[in-house]
Amino acid sequence: MQQSTSNTYGGGISEVNPDNIKAISVLKGPNAAALYGSRAANGVILITTKDGSDSKGIGVDFNSNFTFERPFVKPDFQNTYGGGNGYRTWYSDGWSGVIQPDAYDQYAAAYNDLVPGSTTGTAGTDESWGAPMDGRLTRQWWTGTDVAPLTPQPNNWDEYWDTGKTFSNSLALSGGNEHGNFRLSYAKVDQKGIAAFNDYTRDNFTLNSSYNLKKWLTASFSADYVKSGGNRNYQGGQQFIWAHRHVSWDRLANYADYEDVHIQRAVSGKLEDTDPPNWQHTYFTNPFFTNEYLPTVNDKDRLLGNLALKFTLTDDLGLMLRSGTDFWSDTRINVSNFERVRNGNQTPGRYSEEVLRSQETNHDFLFTYDKMFDSDFSVAAQAGGALRTNYYKRNYTYVGELVVDGVYNLANSNPSQNTVASTIEQSEVQSLYGSVQFGYLNALFLDVTARNDWSSTLPTNNNSYFYPSASVSAVFTDLLSINSPILSFGKLRASYAQVGNDASPYQLTQTFRAAGSWDGSAPEYYENTELANAFLKPEITTGLELGADLRFFKSKVGLDFTYYSQTTENQILGVEISKASGYSTRILNAGKVNNKGIEISLTGTVLELPGGFKWTTALNYAKNKNKVIELAEGLDTYTLQERRGLTSIARVGEPYGTLYGIGFAKTDDGQIIFENGLPVVESTPQILGNIQPDWTGGFMNTFSYKNIELSALIDARFGGDFYDEGTGTARWTGQYAETAIGREEGVIGLGVMNIGTDENPEYVPNDVIVAGNQYYGYNNPRRYHEAAVFDGTYVKLREATIGVKLPSAWLSKYKIQSAKLSAVGRNIFMIYSNVTHIDPEVDEYGGNSQGFSYGRLPTSRSLGFNLSLSF
Amino acid sequence: MKKYINKINTGILFGLLMFTGFSCTEDFAEMNTDPNNPTSIGAQYLLPFAIESSIDRYWGGTTRFERLNIDGAMLWVQYLARNIYSNEGDSYGISPAFYNNTWSSLYNDGLVNFERIIKQAAADGPTPNTNYVGIAMVMKTWTYSVLTDLYGAIPYGEAVKGSADEPIYTPSYDNMEAIYAGMLADLKTANELLTVGGPSVSGDIIYNGDIMAWKKFANSLRLKLANRQAVKKPAESKAIMAEILGSPSTYPIFTSNADDAQLVHTATRPSNNTWHEVMVIGGRTDWSISKTFVDMLMATSDPRLGAIATEVNGTYAGIPNGLPDAIATTYLSSASIMQDKFRDPSAPSVLMTFSELNFILAEAVVDGDITGDAEAYFKAGIDASFEKNGLSPSASFVEGLGSVTKEKIMEQKYVALFGQGVEAWTEYRRTGYPVMPAADPRAIFENDGIIPTRLPYPTTEYSLNREKLDQGITLNGGPDNMQTKLWWSE
Repeated sequence: MQQSTSNTYGGGISEVNPDNIKAISVLKGPNAAALYGSRAANGVILITTKDGSDSKGIGVDFNSNFTFERPFVKPDFQNTYGGGNGYRTWYSDGWSGVIQPDAYDQYAAAYNDLVPGSTTGTAGTDESWGAPMDGRLTRQWWTGTDVAPLTPQPNNWDEYWDTGKTFSNSLALSGGNEHGNFRLSYAKVDQKGIAAFNDYTRDNFTLNSSYNLKKWLTASFSADYVKSGGNRNYQGGQQFIWAHRHVSWDRLANYADYEDVHIQRAVSGKLEDTDPPNWQHTYFTNPFFTNEYLPTVNDKDRLLGNLALKFTLTDDLGLMLRSGTDFWSDTRINVSNFERVRNGNQTPGRYSEEVLRSQETNHDFLFTYDKMFDSDFSVAAQAGGALRTNYYKRNYTYVGELVVDGVYNLANSNPSQNTVASTIEQSEVQSLYGSVQFGYLNALFLDVTARNDWSSTLPTNNNSYFYPSASVSAVFTDLLSINSPILSFGKLRASYAQVGNDASPYQLTQTFRAAGSWDGSAPEYYENTELANAFLKPEITTGLELGADLRFFKSKVGLDFTYYSQTTENQILGVEISKASGYSTRILNAGKVNNKGIEISLTGTVLELPGGFKWTTALNYAKNKNKVIELAEGLDTYTLQERRGLTSIARVGEPYGTLYGIGFAKTDDGQIIFENGLPVVESTPQILGNIQPDWTGGFMNTFSYKNIELSALIDARFGGDFYDEGTGTARWTGQYAETAIGREEGVIGLGVMNIGTDENPEYVPNDVIVAGNQYYGYNNPRRYHEAAVFDGTYVKLREATIGVKLPSAWLSKYKIQSAKLSAVGRNIFMIYSNVTHIDPEVDEYGGNSQGFSYGRLPTSRSLGFNLSLSF
Repeated sequence: MKKYINKINTGILFGLLMFTGFSCTEDFAEMNTDPNNPTSIGAQYLLPFAIESSIDRYWGGTTRFERLNIDGAMLWVQYLARNIYSNEGDSYGISPAFYNNTWSSLYNDGLVNFERIIKQAAADGPTPNTNYVGIAMVMKTWTYSVLTDLYGAIPYGEAVKGSADEPIYTPSYDNMEAIYAGMLADLKTANELLTVGGPSVSGDIIYNGDIMAWKKFANSLRLKLANRQAVKKPAESKAIMAEILGSPSTYPIFTSNADDAQLVHTATRPSNNTWHEVMVIGGRTDWSISKTFVDMLMATSDPRLGAIATEVNGTYAGIPNGLPDAIATTYLSSASIMQDKFRDPSAPSVLMTFSELNFILAEAVVDGDITGDAEAYFKAGIDASFEKNGLSPSASFVEGLGSVTKEKIMEQKYVALFGQGVEAWTEYRRTGYPVMPAADPRAIFENDGIIPTRLPYPTTEYSLNREKLDQGITLNGGPDNMQTKLWWSE
């Protein structure tokens, strides 16, 4: 299946209709690798889809779900000062143009310090250092030549976001008998996002069927056709970061009502500005207009399916032949500009059209052998082979100048302004594998597996890699016939497994890349600044896992403990190198990376009453540490992510994800040193934090009484820092409550100042007053990274559900087999967090690049209702 | 038995069907050959990219917070001042992206491709062509001169060897003295290699394949660098100047504005001028003319002021540098801004001018490095600058300036360099001219109020090349901040 998911375009597992899922099992660590190959290096999420085999006769399942969502954490805004600068808020033309004579009297009434021909409006400053919102009469974006009272808009955040609504329905028809079974389903998802004009729809058509052709031959077929798409252009924005606090977003949503009165800039000798009305025009275009008329839409077709034949060759020996594919094609249209005049400059409509085509095909065969020897010994063996091919094609055209705006056709363009790009990627992996499991008394198991892969992406003399595994598990309570009232079940397990992995295609040879052209005519190329590596080797991950599964008091209490340590050698990485080498990164078999941790889960039945009441609880704890043990020779740092000069790095011997950037000077005991009332900034980068949490945990409680079930899940994460440019910037631009303090009186920063000499410092508490906006300017995350590094600890009520199974006696009257009604709330309550303005659960870039955020679409709190019916 | 045969037959049939798909691994190498990108490419395609990207970075930089010229140099030499967000450069504070990305762009977009051209077109390379080598050497030297004048000691001798037979991933730093010696030697070689009537070149977006023009630029640039180091290396610089000026046929130099080294942009994005991209396409109006510049030109009634700045309310007015936003924004519409020609999509990005060369020669005479008529060079420099601004040279204007001194030369050079912020900043740091007026009392500066003397080293060098970086910092003779003076400071 397509592995990746993007916020804008979806993909991966999110396109599976959840109502078609029978079971999801997680196979941790590299142990599953013999069967599932390289991509199982980090474990496998195995989704078993429903088929009709459970049906007796014809079954009908209907599921309907309706979910509302709203943003989860609302920033704590200041509602004292309006947008602008210098304690002034005045709209002249959206660009801080000079205030015109017709407004002199109005302005003088509000501020009385007008210098004709010199005093300007403040809308060009997209910050909130403006006038106190005390009802004084000012011109605002919507008042035209009139004035209106300047008043706080404490609810403008709530006005900006819509209530998201998701409506999903699915209907499945299934049937089965001794000859075979089938399941046919249709599902539809209709979603409206919390950002205006953002929506998504998905239709799933699924068929699973199998037929027993002979006693020894079963043929099966499954196919899932998914059609999806919508406008998801709003993945984030700065509407509450670079903003005017006095703006009503409800009014901005109705911008069309103000077309006639809204004042635009008219540069003399040029065309008059034509942008849709907005609170300012220097940096922003009305987001409601943007979301509606500059959408990012996609239209995706996906077909997932496979054909399989299962042979029962003898009583013990079986063979499966299977061929499957995951094919999708996606057309993405992103409108980036409309024909407009801004500041006297006319720009044309622009858009891009991207067509992607991707296919992964797997063919495999698998012999299975199951045999019990007398009643004590069992052998289960598997041997098979697989061929996987991947194909990806991208065609991209950017139209820099539409001839007729609004007609999104590639031919409707000025060709000299077009940019084109295309890519083809192909790769293939061939594999042979086998596994044997020996069982004794159904209590002691030894598993041995082996797999060899041949990959097209590695050098031909080094493209084969072998990886074995061995694991042992013992139910010692059975083996030792322990029959204790305390310990009711005990199992120990240990495994040692390796998994090999290949590279992405085309990393072996240095290439040159096209870079458009000079003046639309002379083609340009550059040397790829990622150094290829003709001597790549496969990477090998070796994992050791130890675990225990213990159950006590008639299995009322369970304890599961896992320790794992995984070391990847020759990991294939694009390692950043000194730019002065001429290159930016090197593709390398980069040393050794270790990942170890423990996972503990404690489950138990707290209370069980004869009347049918049951309370169960589950407590999870996980701790994981990543560490680089060695990199390639001469290198000691791997850069995971860079943003504004702040890097998240992994240095040899240090934990993964150290945040490294510009911070403030501090005394030995950690107090910030001030000079002239302002923090002293260190000129060289230093360690500011680390993205890895100390530990994560979950606490689940489930209460059931007869047909009613109630459950609540609390999630916790302790430690792990993140760089939130949004919070830093919104403080710097005067949006948040703390920046309202001391604006008029001045601020004394918390810290110390040196009254001694540089050599013999003597620190006393800072007592120098500085202007508020000057001090808060030290939150600028682009300059002072430390000001925007925050602790990501949180404890939240992640989910609570209540479900009712309707009584079957009553249902049978309506020929309904079962019916369940439930309500689910997600992200219900933030129990504990060290940050005020944002949900610390952020991840702007995904993957290894965690711990970054800047104005992302906020996480949401949702409430959903679900009805499932089976006939 | 028959039952088994059936099973086996069916199994084999399907098995075979599937395994026709299983090819052997012999076609893997072909499958893994990149179908998208070539493994070799002609110099004519690398050249325009390398020229355009390094010059765009030098002249503008289009990304906010990392615009070398308009968020740095042009403000620090007080050509421009911020009418908003003065803490983005005008107050001498810059973001790490500013010095990180300037460094990486010049090395990774410019130098690596110039070096590739030199390798490919070398006598023992796959496609020998002395003129490509010559052009690439001139541009490489120009790029290194920008880099070393920004940062001080930088990787030079060991730089851009990441793909060499014996690759260097952590290049060591050279001091400026050694870098200047290397650059001056390379320019001499470049002039020798550049052969008028020799092999033709294309993709030359500066001189359109005019080899004589490249020779002139090579020698003029060599004069500039020799003059820059003249106080530190007088004998060497004198010899170089004498060599060039002594045989104009071997060492041609700029003789008119038509010879200027500049990239003339076009209206077709992204070949447009970076200031057009930022100020017109991006709509940024954050810059006004600095009060320093306006006052200086008003004092001499310099007619070039009207060619550079707009009139507001019938006069010219500038903004003091470094004003906090609350004050700066009050000047937003009342201060002069740059004339439209600087924001034109096809406005040139200027590397070196005939005017500049004349001021260099005038200074060399005054300093005693060459013999000649300082006054004539001085006047020629002013005339060329007037002409460049579309004005007729004014004899009375030059007379009004009085006798030629080093300070006068540097002041007039400063006016002529308007736009070439990086060069003007370098010359200011070297000579201390023009003397900048006292800061406005309302201005707020970082860096202890000192006009930046250099850029800090990239944070990536701290994380990826620390050992060599530490040695490099030592070579500068001062800490890695914006106050350590560079080698050529007089």
